[in-house]
Amino acid sequence: MLISFYILAALAVGGALSVVLFRSPVYCALSLVATFLCLAGIYVLLNSEFVAAIQVLIYAGAIMVLFLFVIMLLNLRSDKPLRHSWTWPKLLGIGFAVAIIFQLIGIFHSPAARMGPAGKYSTEYLQQKGAVEVVGEVLFTEYVLPFEIISILLMVAVVGAVILAKRREPASTEQTP
Amino acid sequence: MLLEQYLPVLALIFLALGLGVALTLVSILLGPKKITPAKKKPFESGMPSDGAQYRRYSVRFYMVALTFLIFDVEIVFFYPWAVKFRELGFYGLGVMSVFFVILTLGLVYDWKKGALEWE
Amino acid sequence: MIPVSHVLTLSAILFGIGVAGVILRRNAIVVFMCIELMLNAVNLGFVAFASGMQSMVGVMFVFFVLIVAAAEAVVGLSIILAIFRNSGTLNIEEFNLLRW
Repeated sequence: MLISFYILAALAVGGALSVVLFRSPVYCALSLVATFLCLAGIYVLLNSEFVAAIQVLIYAGAIMVLFLFVIMLLNLRSDKPLRHSWTWPKLLGIGFAVAIIFQLIGIFHSPAARMGPAGKYSTEYLQQKGAVEVVGEVLFTEYVLPFEIISILLMVAVVGAVILAKRREPASTEQTP
Repeated sequence: MLLEQYLPVLALIFLALGLGVALTLVSILLGPKKITPAKKKPFESGMPSDGAQYRRYSVRFYMVALTFLIFDVEIVFFYPWAVKFRELGFYGLGVMSVFFVILTLGLVYDWKKGALEWE
Repeated sequence: MIPVSHVLTLSAILFGIGVAGVILRRNAIVVFMCIELMLNAVNLGFVAFASGMQSMVGVMFVFFVLIVAAAEAVVGLSIILAIFRNSGTLNIEEFNLLRW
């Protein structure tokens, strides 16, 4: 179990690095899909099957399709290669990212980040009741209000995206009052 | 443990990977290699190839993908509801109806604005 | 059982790679993909805590982050499309009209 976690983690880090390093946006998108699938595998190892399922459905399925559509739509050329110009702002950026990684690891391992008492949703409980059922139980009782607000957020996203992306023909804009 | 349920998935991944690698290897090892200039061109239904590799697509595809993404997210929330349907009863039906109606307002807006028209 | 600290370390590494991508890349779409990567790293942290503390709060937060990511992808990509229509480029160094 631990070995499969390390394999998936290594693949995820490799995919993430290739998102940053590949020149062509299409390759970046495909390595991001690989990273998302590895993360879905890690979610399964952490006993969150439903999160793994929606990771594959929404992230790897829908969001990345949208990204690929936009790349195709805009007909992007490859970027200039990253590695041929080691200017000092780039080195500074890499140093900044590495500093953030070590800071986060330090925070996660500090005594202030210790775990609270264990809740009732143990592995046995989740297995006995089923992952999706437990999610439904919590989502529709404790988190009803955030759930309803999600629908408003999604509706606003649809409206905003249509306003931004729809091509404005002069005739159709004058017809609408 | 729980993970034993996922052994078939692992077997499927290895089978798919192995099959892909094996077929490519067999075709490299056994296939005849006579390269002519015509064979090096990308295949395009037998016609001489024409145009760039990446071609620009119409924005209408993006509008459809966008609508798909939003309602895909909506469908994800239907799964836990469907599993708990009997226990939740009318309460769950009401909660889901509010969710559904608000999202349908977005669809109606799309429709009125003509974002779903193919022209 | 997978130790929670290992998963959190992976989450920190993925987040840092996302930060590096946002800083280094010049293509607006790739910058956007790196933001999605950072959101996923945060999700991984939430799931790790939920599994370690045997609680459902982390899983619920993953849902909400995921919805925000979907809405952000829809609107953000539309903004990128609109910018491309107006300026004909996606190089973020050329979007300098508001630069002070």
